[in-house]
Amino acid sequence: MTLEENIKSKILDWDEDGLIKICKSAIEKNEASATDILKLIGNVMEYVGELYEKEEYFVPELIVASNTVKAAIDQVLDPAIKEMGVEKETKGKVVLGTVEGDVHSIGKDLVGSFLFANGYEVFNLGVEVSAAKFIEKAEEVGAKVIGLSSLLTMSMDFQRKVITELEQKGLRNKYIIIIGGAPTSEEWAGEIGADGWADDALEAVNLLNKLLS
Amino acid sequence: MKLNKIKVLSSNEIQTIHAATMELMSTVGVKMDAKDVQELFEKHGATVVPDTNFVKIPEFLAKEQLKKVPNTFKLHGPDGSYSFEVNTESTKFASLPCPVSIYDETKKKGIRKSTLADTIKQIRIVNSLDHISACQMDLWPHDVPFMELHCHTLRAWARHSYKPYGMGCYGKIASQDMMNICSIIVGGEEELIKRPRLIGFLSPTSPLQLPQIMTNGLAIFAKYKQPTIIAPEALAGSSAPVTLAGLLTQINAEILGGIILAQLYNSGAPVFYGSVSHVTDMKSGNSALGSIETGLITAGVAQMAKFYNIPSRALGGATDSKVFDLQNGIERLQTLMLAAQAGINYITCAGTYEATLIEALELLVIDDELVGMVQRALEGVEVNEDTIGLDIIKKVATSTEKGTTFLGEKHTLKHMRKELYFPTLLDRNRRATWRKKGSKDIMIRAREKVDEILETQKGPGLSSEVENKLAEYIKKVSKRTIDFYIQAEGISASSVRIDNIEIKKEDLK
Repeated sequence: MTLEENIKSKILDWDEDGLIKICKSAIEKNEASATDILKLIGNVMEYVGELYEKEEYFVPELIVASNTVKAAIDQVLDPAIKEMGVEKETKGKVVLGTVEGDVHSIGKDLVGSFLFANGYEVFNLGVEVSAAKFIEKAEEVGAKVIGLSSLLTMSMDFQRKVITELEQKGLRNKYIIIIGGAPTSEEWAGEIGADGWADDALEAVNLLNKLLS
Repeated sequence: MKLNKIKVLSSNEIQTIHAATMELMSTVGVKMDAKDVQELFEKHGATVVPDTNFVKIPEFLAKEQLKKVPNTFKLHGPDGSYSFEVNTESTKFASLPCPVSIYDETKKKGIRKSTLADTIKQIRIVNSLDHISACQMDLWPHDVPFMELHCHTLRAWARHSYKPYGMGCYGKIASQDMMNICSIIVGGEEELIKRPRLIGFLSPTSPLQLPQIMTNGLAIFAKYKQPTIIAPEALAGSSAPVTLAGLLTQINAEILGGIILAQLYNSGAPVFYGSVSHVTDMKSGNSALGSIETGLITAGVAQMAKFYNIPSRALGGATDSKVFDLQNGIERLQTLMLAAQAGINYITCAGTYEATLIEALELLVIDDELVGMVQRALEGVEVNEDTIGLDIIKKVATSTEKGTTFLGEKHTLKHMRKELYFPTLLDRNRRATWRKKGSKDIMIRAREKVDEILETQKGPGLSSEVENKLAEYIKKVSKRTIDFYIQAEGISASSVRIDNIEIKKEDLK
């Protein structure tokens, strides 16, 4: 079994511990570097995405695969890449959260998992995230994208607040801002000056791929 | 537990209907014109009223013969690789009726007469569906001579399908042809008898008649032990009492009359206790197949069949609507769900509308989806430690990690495919995604599925040796004269009815 096949079988078995063990041993034995392994994992996640598109896999499989991979990246690959002193290759860094006044997380988490599964590096800030927190994190990690979720008509306006504060700080043009959530719409995105809107997680991936290309 | 069965009769009421039926059968009887049938009954203790041809069946004879009816049997596809069991507990779904037209949006009326090509398409689609177990000769092939159509449809079935098939047991000549053709296909009579392939259906004429042409066919089907569906299409208020209890009593006599005859022909012959009975619309005098009372009658039929320990058959997914509107949807699901909830073992009529007169292949694939949903409903809610999942509720609800939902838990992966039904035609997209995909309604999505199946589906095919034998056989059939047919079946009237079609003597030429 090649290293990629080995990695694939662990991811498809949702075997976190097994995947971590393989990654560790491959690096220790100099079979592959952490950046190489990350690419192999990317290939497997692409395969998972194909199964999802073919409707053989569903949302839970995608998320559990992402969680399995995330554990290996956080615990083994990220530290090793840092040690190598190189920049991690991703499609882009996305800071993601649900805006102030809103504790709904599932939709936004789905977007996070889908983006992660599609090669983005995702910083999920959780719920009731203030405008200041969004901006601080984006600046800190050098994000390209800020994603704002809102599931309540009452909290929608806080999406606008983040954009207004970015403008006030002269940072608006540094970021691509995407928004989503049940009461939001393309029109709303236009009204508050966001760069894009998606109505589900898969669309969010398509949207970002388009905006970043 | 599984979904509770709906009941419309108490055990006392079942006994009352049974007793009334026995009285009806022994004092009035069932009209059976065929002389050999009358003799057979007389030999076993029944009496025949010579002027009217009513056969009075005493209770002891009914009891004795009903004991012989099997409560389970298997059905097989032409090459034997696909099979399913019919019993008094399971629920299987099939197409069955005999539509004479097919939906065609290019025609002004939206429909046209069906042809053999349509019959074949219907066979191929049923073969590809997950939840529909069998089809009958569903679409009437108007472009094939009446005398030969059973030959052409059976050949098409064997070429294109892995699932069982069936036809009306319309006369001994055609029924014997079916057995002969099927024997050629499956490799001999013995194999056909051992592993049945065909379902015959016999429609008593309400009130209380078993037509000679049908009993002629039943004799052959019973001899070869191919299951038959004895299913009257009584209409409350016109061909049966308007009271549903009266209808259930009358059709009970009609069904039991047919079932007893099948046992007299061949002890242990497999049968379905069936019904397509519904009500008369009192405003127009028309039949109302999609009525809510159809479901009540069906539930009564399920209970009576269970009382006699015989597998039941009734219709579901039926509608009187002429278009693809809400009425079509309301009546389809209502009749389907009630039949399933009643515990009918073989539910038929997938793919039809306008009182089963018209077929739409799109509806056939939509019905497959509906049946999937209904089957899920029948499973009910499974309760055990693992399905309650106390640990997983605690874990997710109290997690401090971001992004923890049940969606990302292995418990979800383990159970979701069994707990949740995954529709393929019902749209659950958000509006923008639905619009991006072309704003398609379910008929368009169904049409796409039909096209996809017809592009890819492949049947078992037939060897050139079998093809040659069948061609020879069909040649023989085509040489028969109408007079031979009419004489052999003992049909004296100038016209006869097969379900929805009246065949006149001149049509047979």
